[in-house]
Amino acid sequence: MATQTSSGSGGFSIGDLIRRPETGSLIGFIVVYVFFASLGGAVFLGAPGWSSWLNIAAEVGIIALPVGLLMISGEFDLSVGSVVPASSMTAALLCGHYGLPSIFGIAGGLTVGLAVGFVNGLIVTRTTIPSLIATIGTMFAVMGLTLGMAVLIKGSTSVSYVPDATTKALLGTFINGMFNVSIFWWIGFVAVYFFFLHFSPLGSWVFALGGDKESARNAGIPTNKLTISLFMASGFGAAFVGVAQVMTYQSAQVAGGQSFIFNSIMCVVIGGVLLTGGAGSVIGIVLGTMTFAVVNQGIFFAALDPNIGSIIIGALLLAAVLSNDSFRALAMNYASKKK
Amino acid sequence: MTIKSHVLRGLLATAVASLVAGPALAANIFVIGGKPDDPFWSRVKKGAEDAGVVAEAQGGSVTWLGPQNYDNLGPDAAELIRQAIDQGADAIVGPDWVPEAMDPAFEAVTAAGIPLVIYNAGGLEAADKLGAMNYVGAVDYKSGFAAGEYLGNAGHKNGACVNTLPGAANIEAFCSGFNDGIIAAGGTGSVLQLPATAFGDATAVAQAVRAHLLQNPEIDAMFAIGDGDTNATVSGIQQAGKAGQVHVCGMNFSDTILANIQAGSQDCAIDQQGYQQGFFAVSILNNYVNYGVTIPTREILTGPGIVDASNVELVIEGVKAGVR
Repeated sequence: MATQTSSGSGGFSIGDLIRRPETGSLIGFIVVYVFFASLGGAVFLGAPGWSSWLNIAAEVGIIALPVGLLMISGEFDLSVGSVVPASSMTAALLCGHYGLPSIFGIAGGLTVGLAVGFVNGLIVTRTTIPSLIATIGTMFAVMGLTLGMAVLIKGSTSVSYVPDATTKALLGTFINGMFNVSIFWWIGFVAVYFFFLHFSPLGSWVFALGGDKESARNAGIPTNKLTISLFMASGFGAAFVGVAQVMTYQSAQVAGGQSFIFNSIMCVVIGGVLLTGGAGSVIGIVLGTMTFAVVNQGIFFAALDPNIGSIIIGALLLAAVLSNDSFRALAMNYASKKK
Repeated sequence: MTIKSHVLRGLLATAVASLVAGPALAANIFVIGGKPDDPFWSRVKKGAEDAGVVAEAQGGSVTWLGPQNYDNLGPDAAELIRQAIDQGADAIVGPDWVPEAMDPAFEAVTAAGIPLVIYNAGGLEAADKLGAMNYVGAVDYKSGFAAGEYLGNAGHKNGACVNTLPGAANIEAFCSGFNDGIIAAGGTGSVLQLPATAFGDATAVAQAVRAHLLQNPEIDAMFAIGDGDTNATVSGIQQAGKAGQVHVCGMNFSDTILANIQAGSQDCAIDQQGYQQGFFAVSILNNYVNYGVTIPTREILTGPGIVDASNVELVIEGVKAGVR
C-alpha cells in the first residue's frame, strides 16, 4: 500500500519526499497561499489574515478529519450536514429553553452526534445500503426531526442561549479578539487522529477496511465495530462544531450546516484521500483543509468576486484528484521497481 | 383607481348589501394563512383574532384556515380558499403565495361577489389583478430601504449589504433597497456577495464580513437578512476590532437580536410586523361588510417597523404577549 511503503526506511531523500502522498497537497497549499498573499497584501499575511482562514479551517477541519477516516475506510458520511444544526439546536434547547447548566447542553448535543453516527453505522453494516444513500436518508430524517422538535418545544426555528463565562471561554471565545478557540480544539483532534491512524494498530485496520473489506474481515478485523465507531466519530465531530457554534454565536438555527457536507469532502479529497478508500493521511487532510480555507478567505482579502473562489475550489478539487493519481502511480511504480 | 375597479367595487357592494340585508349584521370572515405553529404566522393569526373580537361583538366570526404543512403550498392554499367559499364566507383574506396555483381560486372568490383582501404576499399588483379591495403587507425593497435610511441618517454613510444567497430575488430586493436607502441619505452602498459554500454557516459569514471590513476600512454600516446572518455579521465586526465603528441593522429579530440591541452591539432590526397584517386585513373587511365603509388608501404597508434602543423594551413586552 502506497501510504505505508513510502515511509519505511530511515534517512532522507528527495525521491522519498516527492513520493509521499501528502506532497501534492503541500504543493497545492503553497501555490494557493502565495497566490492569495500576493493579491491580499500585508493584511492577509499578518495575524488578521491567519486568524481569518484558521477559524474557517478549524471548523471544517474538525469534521473533515473523521469524514476523511471514513473515506479511507471506504465509506461516505453526508449526515454531518444535519448533525451540525441538530446538535446546536439540542444544546440551545436544553440550556436556553429549559435553563439547564451548559454541561448538559454540551453533553446532549454531542450525544445527538454519537447517536446519529451509531444509526448510520448500523444501517451500513447490517444492510446492503451503500453509505452514500444511508447517510442521505439519516441526513433528511435528522433535518426533519430538528425542525419538528424546535417548533414543537420552542415554537420557533431559532433558539437563543447565552453561555456562562467558562463555557464561552472553552468553546466560543476569540483569543486576542480574532483567533477562535476552536483552532486549538482542531489541533487537539489532529493529534488524536494522527496517533490513531498512523501509530496505533487500529489505524492499519482502517486502511485494510478501505482496501478490501472481505479480506479485512477474514483477517480477523472486527469490521462492523470499526465501521460503526468511525461513523460515531464523524457524528461526534459534526456535533462538536454544532455545539461550539451555539457557544460562539449564542443562537441555534434549524437550517444551516448543509455547506459542511461538500466542504468537508472537498477538504479530504484535496488532501489526497482516495475516493474509493484505502489511501490517505491525517497530514494530507489537514493540508487539504488549510488549502480550502485559504481559498475561501483569500478571495475576500484579494477583493475578487466570490464566485471566482468557487471556481478555484472546483479546479483545485479536480487538480487534486488528478495529481493524487499521478503521485500514487509514481509511488507504486517506484515500489515495484525496487524489487 | 381604475374605472374597472370602481365598477367592481360597486358590484361587490351590491352583492354584500344583499347578504347583510337581514336583521343581524354579521361578518363571517375566513382568513387563509400559514401553519398556526409557524412562529411568524402565529403572530399574524393573533392579529386576525384580536380584530375578530370586534367582529364577534357584532355577531360575526373569524375562522383561520392554514395548511398542515408547506409541501404542496400552492394547491393546498387554493383548496383552502375554495373551502372558505363553500362554508359561506362573507369576506376572505388570503396571501397570493403561488399565483399560478392560487389565482383561479381567488378569481372564484371575486366572481362569487365575496369581498377579498390580499395580504402578506403578492403586493398591490396581485390585488389589482384579482379584483381584491386592498393589499396589506410589507415590501422587501422598502424594508431594505428603511435600514439604509436609518443608518445613513444616523451618520453612517458607507454601507454594505451581506448577501449569502446571490440570485435569490427577495434577498436582491432587500439589498437594492438598502443601497438606495443609504444613497438617499447621502451615502454610498455596496453588496458583499458570499459564495454559495458559505450559506447557513455562521463562521463562514462572520469571517467573510471580517475580511471584507479589514480590506475596506471605510465601511461603517452593514445590513444582514435574517437572524443567523445578522448574528454572524455582528461577530465578524467584533473580530475585525470594529465594534462600535461599524453599525448594523438586520432583517427580523429573535431573543438574541433584541438582547444585542439592548447591549448596543446592533443598531436596529427591521420588522415586517405580521400582527398588523392579520389585524388590519380582518378589520378592513369587517367594517366593510358591516357598514360599507372603505379604506381608500391602497396598499396598506405593515412594515418596515424599526426596532432600536428607543423601543426595544416595548418590543420585548410584545414578544411576551405573542404579538411580535
